[in-house]
Amino acid sequence: MALPLAACSRSRYNSLVAPVSQTVRVKVLFFGRLKDVFGRSEDSLDVNDASTIEQLFALYVQRIPDLAKYRSSVVASRNQEFAAWDTVLRSGDEVAFLPPVSGG
Amino acid sequence: MTPPLDHDDIIELVREPIDPRPLIDHIRAPEDGAIVTFDGFVRNQSHNRPTLYLDYEAYESMALGKIREIALQLHEKYRVHRVAIVHRLGRLEIGETSVFIAVSAPHRAAAFDACRFAIDTLKRTVPIWKKEYFEDGAVWADGELPPAPVATRGAKPAS
Repeated sequence: MALPLAACSRSRYNSLVAPVSQTVRVKVLFFGRLKDVFGRSEDSLDVNDASTIEQLFALYVQRIPDLAKYRSSVVASRNQEFAAWDTVLRSGDEVAFLPPVSGG
Repeated sequence: MTPPLDHDDIIELVREPIDPRPLIDHIRAPEDGAIVTFDGFVRNQSHNRPTLYLDYEAYESMALGKIREIALQLHEKYRVHRVAIVHRLGRLEIGETSVFIAVSAPHRAAAFDACRFAIDTLKRTVPIWKKEYFEDGAVWADGELPPAPVATRGAKPAS
């Protein structure tokens, strides 16, 4: 879909002069005990462009400080693959925070 | 992710009781000489506390992908013929099967090794969680933290 000209110039050209912070929307999933702490299994969030998974988790810790103590016992995934915490998020990514798994 | 190859495997997450018979029949072929199965079922206690029941949940899309990866590894590492891996989700009572794995191969050694590898890898890498319910409450079971990349720097970019 074509963006109105004004939107294009605001998002692209003006940033050459005065950087405008862009955001990307990501889908975020919580499982197991993290879901209990967060209170929901799914969220959608706009984060600053070039944010990492680590920074995304930190945003949730700001909202729910109890999440902080789980950081060391959580792995992250991006688009259904395990991902490093310094992975940079892209628009449309599906990120999940996964506590230790206990299937079987 | 590697697309699944056509090995005629069965990879499923189900909410109904698992019937092993059709799974075994499916993987059994004239060129095979052995089938090894693993039947994981709900124990009546956990750390000496009597269990009432378990509730399993999964990150379903990723769990299916990870189980498919395990099946592919069985073909590559052990040259098995066919693989069936079925995990049940939701509420399970004592004695009910939570996971059933069956592998067929021309000879028993590959089938034994592959089946052991499959359940060990599943328990370590597949995003499934169980909550244990007791008389006086419920807890998420202790689990294993899956191995994940430590940092993207220096690693090949994910495309």
